Amino acid sequence: MPYLIIDNRHIQVPRGTTVIDAAERLGIMIPRFCYLKVLGAVGACRMCAVMFEAGPVKGLQMSCMVQAADGMRVSTTHPEAVAFRRQIIEWLMINHPHDCPVCDEGGHCLLQDETISGGHSRRRYTGAKRTYPDQDLGPLVQHEMNRCIQCYRCVRFYQEYAGYRDLGVMGIASRIYYGRFSDGALESPFSGNLIDICPTGVYTDRPSRFLARRWDLQRADSICLHCSLGCNTVAGAHYRAVIRQESRENVRVNGSFICDRGRYGHAYANLAERPRQSRLDGEPAGWREAAREAAARLKRIAAAAGHSAIAVLGSARNSLETQIMLRYLSHHAQWRPPRFFVNGSEARSTAAVVARLDSRLAAGLPDLEEADFLLAVGVDPVNDAPMLALAMRQAARKGAKIVVLDPRPVELPFAFDLLSAGLGDLPAALAVLVKTAVSQAGTDGCEAQEKAFLAALPGRVPDEKLQGQLGQAGGWLAASRRPAIICGSAIAGPELAGLAADLALLLQTGKTPSRLFYLLPGPNAFGAGLLQRGSRYFPSLLQDIEKGGVRALLVVENDPFFRYPDQDRLHSALGKLELLMVLDYLPSRAARAAHIFLPGATVFEAGGSFINNCGLLQYAAPVHEGGIPLAQVSGGSHPPRAHAPAPGSEKCPSAYEALLFLANELAIRPPTMDASPWSLLPEDFPGQAELLAHPYPTDGLQLLPRLSEAESLQTPVNLPTSGPAAGALTVLRVEQTFGSEELSCYAEPLRQLAGPPLALLHGADADRAGVRDGEQLCFEIGGEKVELALQVTNRMAPGQLIIPHHYALGRAACRLPAVVAQAELRGLTGQDSPDLPQAITES
Amino acid sequence: MTEKVLFLNQKFDRPATLEEYRENGGYGALALALEKYAPGQVCDLVAESGLRGRGGAGFPTGRKWLSFAGRKQGPRYVVPNTDEMEPGTFKDRVLVNCDPHLVLEGIILAAYAIQADQGIFFIRPSYEQDAQLIEGELNRAREAGYLGKNILGSDFSFDIEVHRSAGRYICGEASAQVRAIQGYRPNPRKMPGLHLTERGLWDQPTLVNNAETLACIPAIVSRGPQWFKKIARTPSGAGTKLFCVSGRVVRPGCYELPMGTPLREIIEQEAGGMLPGSEFKACLPGGASTRFLPKKQWEVPMDFESLKKIGHQLGTSSIIVFDHNTCLVAATINLLNFFVRESCGWCTPCRDGLPFMRHLLLEIEHGRGKEEYIPMLRSMAGQMRHAYCAFAPGAAEPVLGLLEYFEDEVREHLSRGKCPCRFSDAGGGFRRKQCLT
Repeated sequence: MPYLIIDNRHIQVPRGTTVIDAAERLGIMIPRFCYLKVLGAVGACRMCAVMFEAGPVKGLQMSCMVQAADGMRVSTTHPEAVAFRRQIIEWLMINHPHDCPVCDEGGHCLLQDETISGGHSRRRYTGAKRTYPDQDLGPLVQHEMNRCIQCYRCVRFYQEYAGYRDLGVMGIASRIYYGRFSDGALESPFSGNLIDICPTGVYTDRPSRFLARRWDLQRADSICLHCSLGCNTVAGAHYRAVIRQESRENVRVNGSFICDRGRYGHAYANLAERPRQSRLDGEPAGWREAAREAAARLKRIAAAAGHSAIAVLGSARNSLETQIMLRYLSHHAQWRPPRFFVNGSEARSTAAVVARLDSRLAAGLPDLEEADFLLAVGVDPVNDAPMLALAMRQAARKGAKIVVLDPRPVELPFAFDLLSAGLGDLPAALAVLVKTAVSQAGTDGCEAQEKAFLAALPGRVPDEKLQGQLGQAGGWLAASRRPAIICGSAIAGPELAGLAADLALLLQTGKTPSRLFYLLPGPNAFGAGLLQRGSRYFPSLLQDIEKGGVRALLVVENDPFFRYPDQDRLHSALGKLELLMVLDYLPSRAARAAHIFLPGATVFEAGGSFINNCGLLQYAAPVHEGGIPLAQVSGGSHPPRAHAPAPGSEKCPSAYEALLFLANELAIRPPTMDASPWSLLPEDFPGQAELLAHPYPTDGLQLLPRLSEAESLQTPVNLPTSGPAAGALTVLRVEQTFGSEELSCYAEPLRQLAGPPLALLHGADADRAGVRDGEQLCFEIGGEKVELALQVTNRMAPGQLIIPHHYALGRAACRLPAVVAQAELRGLTGQDSPDLPQAITES
Repeated sequence: MTEKVLFLNQKFDRPATLEEYRENGGYGALALALEKYAPGQVCDLVAESGLRGRGGAGFPTGRKWLSFAGRKQGPRYVVPNTDEMEPGTFKDRVLVNCDPHLVLEGIILAAYAIQADQGIFFIRPSYEQDAQLIEGELNRAREAGYLGKNILGSDFSFDIEVHRSAGRYICGEASAQVRAIQGYRPNPRKMPGLHLTERGLWDQPTLVNNAETLACIPAIVSRGPQWFKKIARTPSGAGTKLFCVSGRVVRPGCYELPMGTPLREIIEQEAGGMLPGSEFKACLPGGASTRFLPKKQWEVPMDFESLKKIGHQLGTSSIIVFDHNTCLVAATINLLNFFVRESCGWCTPCRDGLPFMRHLLLEIEHGRGKEEYIPMLRSMAGQMRHAYCAFAPGAAEPVLGLLEYFEDEVREHLSRGKCPCRFSDAGGGFRRKQCLT
């Protein structure tokens, strides 16, 4: 532990710490431009020069390039160092335009800060400035190269850290240019981070361009809701509209960066068509009036048909407070326990994850970065949860072997091995891989139960090529010291989640500290998984509605139509309800179909707690007070200087508040109206005591039990090892980076990037069906005909038809059968759980 | 007649052939080393000879080689550096064209000494003819058993391929060169405490040596380090040196002379003195990255230490001679034009500071200079020593020399409001145009 003196203050730092970081620990912020801790030191800008007065290094040196050592005496204020840094500023400013008044970076610009603090106020350079043409980098990032000070942060992030190659540095000397070979949207789904890391205004946030000064924004710490990772953001609102989000550092979750889906997905909160008016039987009504009428009808239905005729559907995007309130309300009103997932497969997968994940096994994104072998199964990281791909890349950069086992043509920004297996083969293939590894590593440490479990695992898959690849990957796993399994839940069923946990445990008994990382279907799916205990799944609820057993359905922040595969059935079933009450902030189909509708508040207005895929409870603070964005009510004029009582200032109550109101109307009284949601927690909820402190620590509160109580390694698994019947196709509805997620698909810039939806088919299947690449196919989706272009690829598992969830598909789920040009694909309907991937046969 | 080491087989009109090279004892050193010396002993011989790198920095070659002991095994690389883009420098081209096999034998000996597997002959693209010459001679050496598997029946195997640079000055910098070969952007890269000899090409130990340095090796091995050291005319020097003389002299050219030969002797005797009507005003003693050296210092012996003692550098020992008609402000601008263009753009002082300095000098040259420009120039040129690599400090050297020895001439520009040399520059139409752009 080197011990050194910086500006006459003593500090001891871990070996390998650079002097610039050591100074930062003392609160001394040495000026810098190129240095970013997460990207490492390169010494390009020469701005962090300090004087080394004594010790192993002498003279003026860059503090980012020198590691702290015993006996160093460093002065950051030595006249020579100050003069040199001042000179660097002057050199950087000779070409910089004086456009701060119209620059979106103005006011939070590092170059501006350093120029002012360095005292450079008089221009001595009288020559011409060099200028550049700017490029159109797509809808997210605005390019303004004249402002560039050539710090190389952008290319180092874009190419080295994130692994995309379409933005780079060109030219030499004072003409170097950061950009693309030609205009065009940036290909990286992490491109928005350029805005955060650029020390000046070369890359600025395009959707919020010229809308507001950053210091004029109402800013608050928020949590991204666009997948289950729970990345930390800072959201900024202006005149009641959320206009931009930035990354917020959390070393336990997202590190320093966020993906573009998270950064730009907030547009749903500002939509002009966002429902703001409560409705009673299709007519506008006052909020209280509508809520009171809802309570009255619920009472009537309960009296006529019993309490169990009332059911509740929450969602995985509910805040934990809302979910707790739903659980509390249905418990005390004796309604059916709440459901949170429309898709039964997702509900079961999530249940399995919540039951199995414990702190023995759980890995966070930072743990994945340190792994030396990653096995991702049933995961398409860039499309399912982009930040996962970024973490995996960091492992790859450190030399980790990475294997992806998935039916989809997965693409990742680093070298990896794609093992294509059909959806039905995933569990067996995973088992074969791990069995190979454990057998190779030896089973000495295994108990009898573990040995029996291992013996019961299948040793082969039918596909010879896949078998060979699994054997090779098993060898890598056996040789690794810090492996991790990444398991998806979007396409694969609960069997895979349970098996992944068993296999990770099995590896641990073999003395390998293997870890497990699950993806979940939604930002608070973990909370839903905890609170859905004891409830049956939505498909069975639908049956009860059809049979008349359920007469009222209360839907809170969910849209069954968004993902449920059989739209016609859903439509007719919901039509049978006496009362469909919907509470939401999205202009959803369910909201339009509701008898009673109450507008809700988004996370930016209400705040809320969310549990991410690793069991980390985090709090998103409210950003603004609510109401309609002033731009939408001001008739295009300048927003009024004094807002209240400007039109549209009525705010929508949060779902939690609305449910509390309803509980009161139903005479179910929580201790007080402003009760803490945590006092309503069901008693069997784990970790209750910790939750009473609210809000939690800024980096989140880990909820996982030390040891899962779920049974593990119990049943010798019986895994299917054969593919679908010859000629049958398994239909996969998959997530895309942009354009398929429920909230972010409302964001126009992301829609532009999503492109048209494509159906993917393996070459062999396409040949059999007689369809060609690029052909337009007509699918019947939810009663509407939708044209989809076909993409034929051999980089996927045969026997699958892959179709994205996509806003262009009317945000409606797709009921297959579809008419596929020459080959008519006939699907199965009327099943109990049609949400599970179905085998459909060609006729 | 002084002893020749490098130009022993010089034919003036064509390169020496393999046969001619062998007749004069060529490849004898290789045979000797493979038979008698362990690799480490070859390194010791080179260290003992006092040979210092001929690429400009003058780092002791033996010390560099000896640092390979204990480095990781696996592929190791030798990169003969023939990028030679220092203005005024053409010795490597003359050397390769004079006696290609001398260079090749030096490379093979270096490879043996550090136990390298592969050589990559890095050559400037404008030397295309020379690249083709080397490729042809490589084939002949291969056929003769000097390259390839089991060289001369020993268990040492090694081969060389030619890599043509994309043609930028910075590619001559060793760490940038290594990145260029790997297909990366040729920015110099330093990792604290980590040298190319440890992590170079593809993260393997790599030796980058100038072609002239390597050409000295056969003589050191065959005739002994003491003999080599004693050729020099000063105790601090070792061996001979190729001096490129250009500018206002009667016989510009490349001359092999003992290390430590006085500058005046090189100009007056070898290069035939100044052109008629020209008087010696100053020269750059070691290429464009060194300071102007005024006449009062021209008795200096040309070796690394003697020049260093009087505040100069030997550099590539390329002597560019200026006469009394040349405006040294204009000459400095000319040099800066080159450096401003060739900066790799990595660090701020070089990328943005050099254009600023050139701008100040242009203002002075055009009679728009101000008194405060002189301390500004001096300060900025001084700050260049804190740049990332040796490029910017080198680029600042002519400016520092100009201000140190010819400040009066600079001030005359200020006081007259125009260049004092403008109309007295007899034959210098070319130079005038250069400085005015």
